[in-house]
Amino acid sequence: MKWWQLKKRDADLEREIRSDLELEEEEQRENGVPPEEARYAARRAFGNSTLIKEQTHETWGLAPIERFWQDVRYAFRQVRKSPGFTCTAILTLALGVGSVTAVFSVVYAVLLSPYPFHDPGQIVIWRESIREIENVAPLLPDNYRHYLNLKAQAHSIQDAAILQNPAFTVSTGDDHPHVVEGLAVSSNFFSVLGVAPLLGRSFLPGEDEEGKDREVILTWSGWQGLFHGDPSILDRTLRINGEQRTVIGVLPKAFRFPVMSVMPSEATRGSTDRYEIFAPLVPSSLERTANDAEFNFLVVARLKDGVSIRAAQSELDGIEKATAQADRLSIHLGVIVEPFSEEITGDARKPLWLLLAAIAGVLLMACVNLATLQVVRGVARDHDTALRSALGAGAARLVQGVLIENLLIGLAGGLAGVAFAFVGERIFVRIAAVLPRLNEVHLSTPMLAFALGLSLITSLGFGILPALRAMHAVPLKALQDSSARLSGNKQANRSRRVLVAAEVACSVTLLIVTGLMIRSFSHLLTQDRQFTAKNVVLTKADLTGVRYGGGQYPANPGADQGSLERDAMIDRTLDRLRSLPGIDQAAVTSVIPLTGDMNVDGLRRPDHPVPEGQVPMANRRLISPGYFSSLGIPLLKGRDFSPADREKFRAVILSEKAAKAVFPGENPIGHTILHWGHIYTVIGITADARINDLKRDTPLFYLPYWDFPPFTPVFIVRSSQAVQTLGPEMHKVIWGVDPDISIPTMTSLDDQVDESVARERFQSVILSSFGVAALLLAVLGIYGVLAYSVSLRTQEFGIRIALGSDRLGLARRVLMDAFYPLICGILLGLLGAAAASRWVGSLLYQTPAVDPWAIGLSLGVLLVAALLAALLPVRRAVSVDPVQALRSE
Amino acid sequence: MTKETQNRASVLQGTLDMLILRTLLYGAAHGHQIGKHIQRTTNEFLQMQHGSLYPALHRLEKRDWVSAKWETAPDRNREFKYYRLTDKGKKQLVVEESQWKQMAEAVARVMWPAAEER
Repeated sequence: MKWWQLKKRDADLEREIRSDLELEEEEQRENGVPPEEARYAARRAFGNSTLIKEQTHETWGLAPIERFWQDVRYAFRQVRKSPGFTCTAILTLALGVGSVTAVFSVVYAVLLSPYPFHDPGQIVIWRESIREIENVAPLLPDNYRHYLNLKAQAHSIQDAAILQNPAFTVSTGDDHPHVVEGLAVSSNFFSVLGVAPLLGRSFLPGEDEEGKDREVILTWSGWQGLFHGDPSILDRTLRINGEQRTVIGVLPKAFRFPVMSVMPSEATRGSTDRYEIFAPLVPSSLERTANDAEFNFLVVARLKDGVSIRAAQSELDGIEKATAQADRLSIHLGVIVEPFSEEITGDARKPLWLLLAAIAGVLLMACVNLATLQVVRGVARDHDTALRSALGAGAARLVQGVLIENLLIGLAGGLAGVAFAFVGERIFVRIAAVLPRLNEVHLSTPMLAFALGLSLITSLGFGILPALRAMHAVPLKALQDSSARLSGNKQANRSRRVLVAAEVACSVTLLIVTGLMIRSFSHLLTQDRQFTAKNVVLTKADLTGVRYGGGQYPANPGADQGSLERDAMIDRTLDRLRSLPGIDQAAVTSVIPLTGDMNVDGLRRPDHPVPEGQVPMANRRLISPGYFSSLGIPLLKGRDFSPADREKFRAVILSEKAAKAVFPGENPIGHTILHWGHIYTVIGITADARINDLKRDTPLFYLPYWDFPPFTPVFIVRSSQAVQTLGPEMHKVIWGVDPDISIPTMTSLDDQVDESVARERFQSVILSSFGVAALLLAVLGIYGVLAYSVSLRTQEFGIRIALGSDRLGLARRVLMDAFYPLICGILLGLLGAAAASRWVGSLLYQTPAVDPWAIGLSLGVLLVAALLAALLPVRRAVSVDPVQALRSE
Repeated sequence: MTKETQNRASVLQGTLDMLILRTLLYGAAHGHQIGKHIQRTTNEFLQMQHGSLYPALHRLEKRDWVSAKWETAPDRNREFKYYRLTDKGKKQLVVEESQWKQMAEAVARVMWPAAEER
């Protein structure tokens, strides 16, 4: 029989039974039984009609399905009967599951999802190292000559491509040109990655040689952005850095190459979709021949199948060392091979897993709260369960009933969680904008299935406890006992205390880790930076066009035609900026502040030659007079550059750290260093400003911009006007000097500071919100347990008060209920925090992993919260009216 | 349900099927008639609530040993669900009867060994 016939079949049976009953009734009446009696007699003779119906259904073979629907209906009624509990449960699940899913979808996209290359696990990055400067810069970019040598000799790699990340000033029409990001790559780049273009072709061998590099390949977004997805894109041209280039290919939409920085310590931020153009890489003749300098590139290689990274590392390192020895180099070279993913997301891994662990902890606590609630509900339902058991419900049936109820809650929670995950993911992505690959985050179907599954698993998980209770229902005992006395039993109490202890432990761990993060973040923000970010606007101009020397490093820096053009442009711009109304100061530098290390060079003394490799390294900045006062960097000794120096002599200013490294124990003023083949005289010492990176006071040396005018001058203006009003003014000034200059960046120094600590901020913000959630849940848990135990013991308290117990003693009695779980929880939490903070130690800035402030504050907050949670139940306990309490039984 | 009642039910069930099939050998009958017949012929010895027939009747119907149909009763203007023995049911009755006979003889041999020797 089929289930849809059930209704008809049931009606049939009903009719049959009714007719039988009527016949029997007639018969009884004929035997002279009075009509009223006759009906009862008939029923007696017939038997329990409900039971008979059920037994008949059983023979139809559909009973299990029927019982299941019965349980579902029953569960629905139960769930509806206690809307408070149901809402709490569904909401808790939805928030917990939703936020875990949101965070997990980010973790998946950033850390776990494979890169859109062929067999991405085989792709590695290699960098070089120089033993002599390892303490300053453990990793270096790659040298072109070493790359060719390693590629030719190594057996562990299939192929290797080399790349650089220049900025391309692009114009397709007649507007001001703009800067587009992209990579200059060797011609085998796409074959190393195993990626074929969607349209057109890849680079051919030889197209990366000087004079033959006339082609470019666009990414999907570049195609859309520059040509609006024009299908006849192939063979169209665009001007890059003033030169005509032909588009030969468009990459597939799914292809994404993460933002790479050639310098290992340079800050890379943001999405993976930024690159729009791939052009052939043509190294300069200097770069092709240099053996101990010009570390300007990055190498991407594909390992041969079955070769481990360690094997490749030792082979490449060996080749490099042997070659360096054969070439009699004075420096000790090495090679470090890393997985591609490590290069891109290595820094993000720990913070992300930490956040996932934290939010999972919060979910766990939410579930613990629900489990406590469920136990309480289960206890309250003991009577109910016992009755059902007495009426013949088997253990399996009772367990099934409870589980179905949880399943319903889990399903509802999961669906709401999916909705919340969408919102949560949006928020997370917005706060976490600094993470790499973030634009790949999206809630896919598997992710939503994960949410639903997680919800079902957790709801069933915390429903198991009450379900097991139902299995052990002893009808007689439960029916005799009053429900209140029964639930006071020891076992239920113990399980509730264990749950509270677990909750306290979780929140202590989370609070301490959060405290550490906040401490570290506030250190970062409040430390003495030795510069003032307020009221400073930065505008970067791009002078890589042909007129300005084509971005090529000349053989004699500063004396070529391009340098003269750049010098004139900067001079004129500074003059005009200074004459703008409302401008206090204007200056120029070569690198945008807070973007990490760039232009690192050795500081050599003509009077004290130091062996190569032991030369102190520092960041070079090309600045104008007024730079230090514009940024508020204190000058400790000597003086600033002056326009009068221009013709007279070559001057250099050192940061204190650089000065100490080059001239230990001496007064550097008046001493000289060697740079670009010229003698520079030290005229000033500045404080160690954290202008490169808030976390480090890197050594710096400053040269006047006119010695070698920068290709990307950054104009600095100090003014009380906002960026929004000042920005257009500065644009107008720059385009007034030359309308063909592109302006890639315009920002305030404040924003720049903000952006440079964005990762720390987002860690602190998200962790704090998790910490607050954990604290709330712990408070709710403690409150729940105390309030419940007080409500069960009202009678006991009434008797105690009637017998003369003092109220302070009662309060202590109630508090003791929470005391042991609290202490155990705190101890466990401290252990957890010890383990966790060792793990997060590397994320902390100038904050010890065992920070008394973080620990003390966290515990203090928790204790105060616990006390508050206990306050209400204690009040209720001491204000019990003995007469009322005893009468209510 | 306790173990004891379960045992009794299963014994009854086996025999009940046979009793129903035998009753239907006289011709079609509805549930009430079958119940009454069994009760009367055993001189009220098998005191059963005749409602308990229905699960058995439906089981027999499912096994195709009986067929059922709503028909108007010959003696009054009213429909009843009449059960009829099928051919399959007739064969089954033979099987059950012989099994029961064997069983009864086996039990008798144990219970009254002297009578057998004589």
